[in-house]
Amino acid sequence: MSISSDPWVWIGAFLTLAIFSFLYKDNPFYKFAEHVFVGFTNGYLVTFTWHNVLVPSLFNPLFRGQLILIIPFIIGALYFTRFIPKVSWFVRIPIGISMGYGVGANVPAFIQAYIIKQIQGTILAPQNFQAWHAGSTGIVWSAILFVGVLCVLSYFYFSREQKGILNVTSRIGIIFVMIGFGAAFGYTVMARVSLLIGRLQFLLGPWLGVIE
Amino acid sequence: MNFVDRMLKIDRRIIYLILALVITLPLLFRSPQRIRVMHPVATLFNAVDSISPNKALIVNFEFDPRDLPELEPMGLAILRHAFHKRIKVLVMSLYVQPLGLAQNALTAVINEINTEAKTNVDSLIYGRDYVFLGWQPPPLVPILGMGESIANVYKTDFYGNKTDTLPLMRYIKNYKNVGLLVSLSSSDVPKWWLEFAQNRFGLRVGAGVTSVSASEFYQYLQTGQFSGLMVGMKGAAEYEEMIESNLGIHKRRKASEALPSITYAHLAMIAFIIIGNVGYFIKRRQK
Repeated sequence: MSISSDPWVWIGAFLTLAIFSFLYKDNPFYKFAEHVFVGFTNGYLVTFTWHNVLVPSLFNPLFRGQLILIIPFIIGALYFTRFIPKVSWFVRIPIGISMGYGVGANVPAFIQAYIIKQIQGTILAPQNFQAWHAGSTGIVWSAILFVGVLCVLSYFYFSREQKGILNVTSRIGIIFVMIGFGAAFGYTVMARVSLLIGRLQFLLGPWLGVIE
Repeated sequence: MNFVDRMLKIDRRIIYLILALVITLPLLFRSPQRIRVMHPVATLFNAVDSISPNKALIVNFEFDPRDLPELEPMGLAILRHAFHKRIKVLVMSLYVQPLGLAQNALTAVINEINTEAKTNVDSLIYGRDYVFLGWQPPPLVPILGMGESIANVYKTDFYGNKTDTLPLMRYIKNYKNVGLLVSLSSSDVPKWWLEFAQNRFGLRVGAGVTSVSASEFYQYLQTGQFSGLMVGMKGAAEYEEMIESNLGIHKRRKASEALPSITYAHLAMIAFIIIGNVGYFIKRRQK
C-alpha cells in the first residue's frame, strides 16, 4: 500500500468523497464539490471556445481582412439581444436560422436512417434472418421482432377504442414494452454500478495504492 | 416490528453500504471471470481488423469524465488493436469535453507502443501513423464536411499544425479513404453518424456506448447500419478479450478487472428486488 503524494490525486479523492457523502445526507462538502464542478465545467467550456473557436475561426481571419465573416459574427451576436428588452426580438433571427438549418438537414436523413431502414429491418426477409447470426433460428427471432413491432404500434394506436383484435394485439404489445423497460432498467443498473466501480478503482488505485 | 416490516423498511444507507462492499471486495481480492465474447463485439473487432492498408480508422471520442469507466477501456482497446495492425488512425471529437480524455487515451497507447519499439518503422509517429484532429463545432459541420474534405473542416489539428501539411492527410482526404468510424459515446452521437455520414457518404460506422443508452442502439445493429457494437464495461471487457486472445496484446484490462464487481452488484440488486417483492406480497396477504 503506497498512498499517493500527488496533490491533484488528493484533490480528486477529496471531491469524490465529498460527492459520495450525499448518500448519507445533504451536507456542505457535497455542496462545495457540486459548485466546484459546475464552475470548472463552465469556465473550461468558455475559455476553450474562446481560444479554439472564436479567435482562430472568427477574429483572426476577420482582422486579416476576411470581412465576409462579419455576417455570421453579427448573426451570432444577436443572441445577446435577449438581455435588452426593447430589441430582444432580434434573437429570433439566429434561432430561426439555426432551426431552419437543423430541420432542413435532419428531416430527410432522419426518415432514411431511422424509419425506412428500420422498416426494412423488420420485414420477414432472408437477409434479416441472417442478421441475427443465429443459424436456422434467425427466422424465429425475426418473427418475434415482426410481431412485437406490430403489437407495440397497435398499443399506441389511439384513433379507435381498443376492443376486439386491437385489444388482443395491444395487450401483447404492452408485454413487449414491459420487457423493453426491464432490459433498459437492467442496463441502467449496470451503467450506474460501472460508474461507481470507476470511482472506487481511482480511490483504491491512484489514491490509496491498494490495487494496481 | 416483525421481520417482513423490517425487510420493507431497510434504510437506504444500508443498501448503499452493502453495494459498496460487494463492489469493493472483488476489486481487492481479484477473481478473474471468464469472458464470453458476444457477436456484436466480435463483429466490431472484425470490422476494425479488416480495414485495408490504404484506409484509415476514425475514433470519435464523445464522452466526458462521468462515463470514463465504461468508455475509456473501449477507446484504449480499439487504439491498441488499430496500432498493432498498423492501421492509420484519426482521433476527433464533436464536443469540447472529451478532448482531454481522447488525448490521454491516445498518449497512453502511443507511449506503450513506442517504449517497446526498436526502430523508426516500429514506432508510431505523429502525422505519419496517426493524427489528432481535435474539435470543430457545431457537430453537423464536421460530420457532413469530412465527407467532402477532412482538411477543409479541420484546417489545423489539435496541436495547431496545418492539417494539409501532415503526410497522413495527403492521402486520407475524405470518407472515401476511411475504412471505419468508431464512435465512443454516452449520447446520441453514433446515430448522427448513421443519419448524416452513412446515409449520404456510405461511411461504415461502429459504436461503443454506455449501458444506460444501450437499448437505443441495438436496432441499428440488427439492420446492419452499425458494423459492430460495444455496450458498457461488459462490451469493453469483450474487446479486451478479443485483442488478447487474437492478437496477443497483454496489457492492463481495466474493464475485465471490474466484471466480477458488476456481477456481484447485479446479484445483490436481484436479491433486494426479490426481498422487496416477497415482503410486499406477504404484507398484502396479511391485510
